[in-house]
Amino acid sequence: MSDQDEQVPTITLRRSVGTATATATSAGLAFAAIDYLGVVSILAYAPGATAAFAIFIGGIVVILVSAIFSELNGLYPTAAGIRLYLGRAVGNRTALSVTFTYMTTVVLVIAADAFLIGAAVRHVLNEPSVLAYVWIVVLLGIALAANLKGVRLAGWVQTIVTYTVLTGTSILSIIALFHVGGAFNHPVDLFGKGTFSGIQAVAFALFLYAAFEWVTTTAEEARTPRVITRALFVAPLLIWIVASLFALALSHLVSYSTLHGSAYPQLLLGRAALGTVGEIWMLSLTVLTALNTFNGGFLVASRFIYAAAREGNLPRQFARLNLNAVPWLAVTTLTVVSAVVAAVVFATGQWLLLVSVGAAIECGIYAIGSVCLLRLRSRVDRKRPFKLIAGQPLAIFGAILFSVLFVATAFADPKDSRHFSIAPFTVIAVLGALSTTYVLLVVPKLQRAAAARTAATRPRRRPTRATLDDINTILPAAEASD
Amino acid sequence: MADWDEICEALADYTISCNENVRLRKMQRDWSRMLHFICSDTGVTFSMDVDKGEIMSTLEGLVGLPDIVVSTTSETFCDMFWGDLNPVQKYLRGEITVKGSQEDVMRLDAISYVIWPES
Repeated sequence: MSDQDEQVPTITLRRSVGTATATATSAGLAFAAIDYLGVVSILAYAPGATAAFAIFIGGIVVILVSAIFSELNGLYPTAAGIRLYLGRAVGNRTALSVTFTYMTTVVLVIAADAFLIGAAVRHVLNEPSVLAYVWIVVLLGIALAANLKGVRLAGWVQTIVTYTVLTGTSILSIIALFHVGGAFNHPVDLFGKGTFSGIQAVAFALFLYAAFEWVTTTAEEARTPRVITRALFVAPLLIWIVASLFALALSHLVSYSTLHGSAYPQLLLGRAALGTVGEIWMLSLTVLTALNTFNGGFLVASRFIYAAAREGNLPRQFARLNLNAVPWLAVTTLTVVSAVVAAVVFATGQWLLLVSVGAAIECGIYAIGSVCLLRLRSRVDRKRPFKLIAGQPLAIFGAILFSVLFVATAFADPKDSRHFSIAPFTVIAVLGALSTTYVLLVVPKLQRAAAARTAATRPRRRPTRATLDDINTILPAAEASD
Repeated sequence: MADWDEICEALADYTISCNENVRLRKMQRDWSRMLHFICSDTGVTFSMDVDKGEIMSTLEGLVGLPDIVVSTTSETFCDMFWGDLNPVQKYLRGEITVKGSQEDVMRLDAISYVIWPES
């Protein structure tokens, strides 16, 4: 990997994002409440210390993702991110289909977090299970109201929240590990649960890092291009440390049979380590993760919907703004869809399915990112602030590796390594088919309607200026008519 | 390529449209920013001072420390300030580049959207 930062002119903004904030944003986007469940899914395939080994290998693989997205971000440092890379690499329609599918992961994560936090609060308060859904509605209601009011977490608040969650989880995990001492009862055996169990464990481990690359959407406010590159490399390191400690503590202090059916493994670890204090400690951290998820998730997804509507790819009603300059219909729709998904999860108890779907979509996106890098290497001859050494072979390797990991998670049963399941793949296929059908059938109609509306209601306002060519064309004609 | 006079003409119309739009002024009541604009083809630069949603002044050159920096061709700037193009389409194609927070980028587009909803 090489760095050519000094070749890019830097623009100084009055308010810009530095490395600490960008790293916090990246780690905060990745580390949601669903990550605690993600560790349980890894444990299904890699018990005991093997889970930490899988997370380590996942971290090594993520370095490749960091490098790929660093180069793409340096090439197009914009909030439009993957939409633009894809558009330039494979065309606008494919870009739109993939981006719509990608954005559904945001809804899944918001819904999952709402459900998990609701379930955790209900558990600690010893309420009947049906009240979990009331908590979900309350949480989403608060998030909706705050978003419609235009309330946003300041960068420094987001930074503090992220580092508190990461540090708090690490400290409790270390305390829990003191209970275990040296009694690690499982040898490291990545393929101990079947021929493919190691591959599936690594694929689920990737889910813990998922969404860290969304920090590229803040590229336009970064102090220098190097800030985003640093964040892309440092954030996975932080997640690796925290997730490894948590996995080690969880696997040795709480039995897998207890974790298997629980939506709040972090609370079980908290109780096992420090009793009620530990449980409340982990509940507080779980609630804090919601601040990042709801703030970041709603912001990214609603602004994407707004831009898509303004571009003519979604009904223009989604671009309507309230008096706080918030796209209110986009935010409200996101909340309602998240509430519905959370209700389905609540009713079916299939929360680990969200982990499989999220992990598979992320692997798919990483494979697509690799393809983008490969194609843009040959198509765009422009200086990059960051350039991946041996980019082409590594991009080919990435495309193959992440495709394999996509298959490994899309057909995995997140609870049981002995079974395959088509449920995750079915969900992704349905989402992908809906996106593609929409892009192929509805978007052209919307764009034709928008063009017709503009032509009918709004003539060009800019005055036409005569150029020398115009004058030269007119003059002989004028002379001839005389 | 559009010259500075053409850009000024477009900016004059844009300023009136912005400042006289009651809904826009209400929406942008908490938005005070210094904007820098850079014409990538001609090298012309200019600055816009917005205070509580009202465009206070537009000056040639880069004045003060910016909150947002917008770069594109002089023609695109002219069309944008006349409301003859949709800035989001150009932005998503990478033809308009912006430095600034996502929120400010959206606020900037919101101005065009509120003044010319059909653009």
